[in-house]
Amino acid sequence: METFTNQGSAQNQEDRISKAKRRQTVRRAAMWFGVFLVIGGAVFGVMKISRSTPGAGETASLVSAISSADWVKGDKEAKVIIVEYSDFQCPACGAYHPVLKRLSEEFGDKIGFVYRHFPLPQHTNARPAARAAEAAGRQGKFWEMHDIIFENQQEWSESQNGKNIFEKYAETLKLDMNRFKSDVDAKEISDKVSADFESGTKSGVNATPTFFLNGKAIANPGGYDGLRNAISQAIANNS
Amino acid sequence: MTDLETPLVRPSPIIPRWIVWSWLVFSFVGFLDATYLTVKHYTGGPINCSILNGCDKVATSSYAAVLGVPVALAGAVYYLFLFLLAVIYIDSSRARFFHLAVFTAFAGFLASLWFVYLQVFVLRALCLYCLFSAIDSTFLSLLGMVALRSKTKSDGYSDKEN
Repeated sequence: METFTNQGSAQNQEDRISKAKRRQTVRRAAMWFGVFLVIGGAVFGVMKISRSTPGAGETASLVSAISSADWVKGDKEAKVIIVEYSDFQCPACGAYHPVLKRLSEEFGDKIGFVYRHFPLPQHTNARPAARAAEAAGRQGKFWEMHDIIFENQQEWSESQNGKNIFEKYAETLKLDMNRFKSDVDAKEISDKVSADFESGTKSGVNATPTFFLNGKAIANPGGYDGLRNAISQAIANNS
Repeated sequence: MTDLETPLVRPSPIIPRWIVWSWLVFSFVGFLDATYLTVKHYTGGPINCSILNGCDKVATSSYAAVLGVPVALAGAVYYLFLFLLAVIYIDSSRARFFHLAVFTAFAGFLASLWFVYLQVFVLRALCLYCLFSAIDSTFLSLLGMVALRSKTKSDGYSDKEN
């Protein structure tokens, strides 16, 4: 009798143990499933966010209209005006340079493309580069200098004597070197670069490149395709 | 006292619950941060240059990859490893897993010091996401130190040590 009950309770206990074990296995499986779900979801979420990260202040809107002091490619009376605040030493601006070149060739006089300086303080050669472009501009070669500077960004970005490198570029453009050298240091040119920077700050620019399409900041330019779409749409809306 | 025996003798985890949970949170947040930079690294979306954030300079510098492996990716793997070790510890209640995580975090902390040094003194540009990671791994190391202390206490070694 006694052994019987003992056997019974032993079996009960075994049952209970195996049940508990099963429950534990289920719980563990659920936990690991949850963990991988969370990790997978996180990676997916981060990938989505990083793709739609706003370029610059989403709420930024351009406060200063284009003026005779601005460098405009295309038609400055065009119904679609793109203003770029850019830093010659910024790799992202360098990456956008071929994009914009291609777009202004494609759209021609249907758009006006304005380049404004936004040399960031941590980029020590950005301001000298901006001044070199402006000095070349006084001899009618702003865009030529602008292109050379961007195309050779790697060469001068971390250089201690950016100024000499820019002079070399000026020589290849066959500029009047005496005039170029004095213009680079001219106060008016330095003031112009500062004025661009200030108008950028007032417009809410805090990163480069920042693009304004008809006065409104493009939150996420999205490379060539994104910008092309935005421009095409603006042209369609304004015609 | 081997780690193998510990859970048998003492079924309740010897590392305080709040430490394990904080560990999960910090390692997970670090994982998100590093994953973001990794995605940026590979999708090549140029990281904008901004007044406050020198990410462009840091993330495109020659120090952004070691032997071809982007530091961001190494960071993501590191945080994921810490996170999973903590989960394994919860699952198995074997303290050795948590201790492995703690020592990995110490190594990660040293790596963070090196990267902050590079940003401040060599690149002279700060990357907010990278600094955030450094702060995060500092917290993990502090948690790890507390975890190690609480372990020695519950093993009854605190008297000998003090």
